[in-house]
Amino acid sequence: MSVKYIPVQWNQNKWFYDAVLLICIGVFVWIFLYVVPDWLDHGRPVDGAITNARAFGLCAFLMMTVILAIGPLARLDARFLPLLYNRRHFGVLTLFVALTHVGFILGWYFAFSPVGQVENLLSARTSWAQVAGFPFEFFGIFALLSLAVLAATSHDFWMKFLTPRIWKSLHYLIYPAYAAVVGHVAWGVLLDHRNQTLTWVILACAVVVVALHVMAALKDRAGGDAPAQAAKDGWVRIGTVDEIAEGRAKIAILPGGDRVAVFRHQGALSAISNACAHQNGPLGEGRIIDCLVTCPWHGFQYDVRTGQSPAPFTERVPTYAVALDGRHVLVDPTANPPGTPIDPVPVPEATQHG
Amino acid sequence: MSATVILLIAEIWLWIGAAVAAVFLIWGIDRIDEDARGAYIFRPLLVPGILLIWPLVLWRWWLLETGRDRWQLRHVPPRRAHQAAAFVMAATVCAILLAGIANRQPWDRVIEPVQLSEAGP
Repeated sequence: MSVKYIPVQWNQNKWFYDAVLLICIGVFVWIFLYVVPDWLDHGRPVDGAITNARAFGLCAFLMMTVILAIGPLARLDARFLPLLYNRRHFGVLTLFVALTHVGFILGWYFAFSPVGQVENLLSARTSWAQVAGFPFEFFGIFALLSLAVLAATSHDFWMKFLTPRIWKSLHYLIYPAYAAVVGHVAWGVLLDHRNQTLTWVILACAVVVVALHVMAALKDRAGGDAPAQAAKDGWVRIGTVDEIAEGRAKIAILPGGDRVAVFRHQGALSAISNACAHQNGPLGEGRIIDCLVTCPWHGFQYDVRTGQSPAPFTERVPTYAVALDGRHVLVDPTANPPGTPIDPVPVPEATQHG
Repeated sequence: MSATVILLIAEIWLWIGAAVAAVFLIWGIDRIDEDARGAYIFRPLLVPGILLIWPLVLWRWWLLETGRDRWQLRHVPPRRAHQAAAFVMAATVCAILLAGIANRQPWDRVIEPVQLSEAGP
């Protein structure tokens, strides 16, 4: 959570997360180069730069695979949420691993030419009309630029400056970037690779990513948040008080497409936007502790009665007016400006439970 | 488009980005973000991002400076687009992978290398 920007908001969890990542990268490269060189058929006498390029290239591909798997895994099973917590550091490290791969490639395949390395890379292959001989390097360049944009805009400043909506739209680049990396490998090294292991590794990774995303999307469609029903005077009905347990919320989709989270806390109802001000995480899936709901994605907190983060933090989310019609919970779909206090609506004694 | 032209365009893009970064980080950022006032150490971290997406930076800066930013849009996550993006990625990955595997080049391992200069006419 922000007060004044600092370069990196380190904490013990992030140190641990990053340390594990770095150890995994080191162990992978060591195993690739020295323990199982025959698996990927690079045990033949080739230059060290080639084996290093292969090691870091495959490492970057696997890291992108894991990054893309974390999102749907967390949606399918909340136990994977801790992996989501520091995914931005994961992405930045992936960029550096990919850059190392590029450094070895440029320093070997494109270094011995009268023109510059990058110019040589861009003009080396021009068979755009066929798969065999296709300039697969451009797939890699696109993926690298995409990773660079994602890593360079990973500071919290960018989320506030661009707004979470634009920031997340920009970070959708990870999807075409992954498709491009698959193309970079499948239309490059896989075309003439004499060992099947790499083919199976790439296939398995692609199948895992595709399957997880399709499963998560289908789950969202089947069991997603219910739309609110029209009620009198422009208000909408989101359900009954009995559906909301103490300390929890019910999420509903408002007519305009926004999601509202109606919380029940200390026997009273309060409604705030379901979208966290940080990365639009689902606040309605969080728990209330001391009037503060905690976003399940990154731990940002808000007072459900005001939509404001506790001082000295400055994040705010919109609030909504709530009313009761018997046991039905009504919400005014017009959002109040972020941080607007709204009096909680007491739940009648007869319907108190939970 | 030749490699030289691509590199020239990239160079111009980065030089403009550098100019935008200098003006924005020294002067503009304090005007549009209260959390940046008095915070200087983090600013160099923003330079790579501005170099890459400076048109977006200029657009957002203009919206915030002129008060045209709509706060409501900050709280509407693009969820529907997320599902579409996931399905498009899944289909593209499958198509690219199948095209690559279908075009694999056969390789006969038993062929021994031949020194062309010794093969003769």
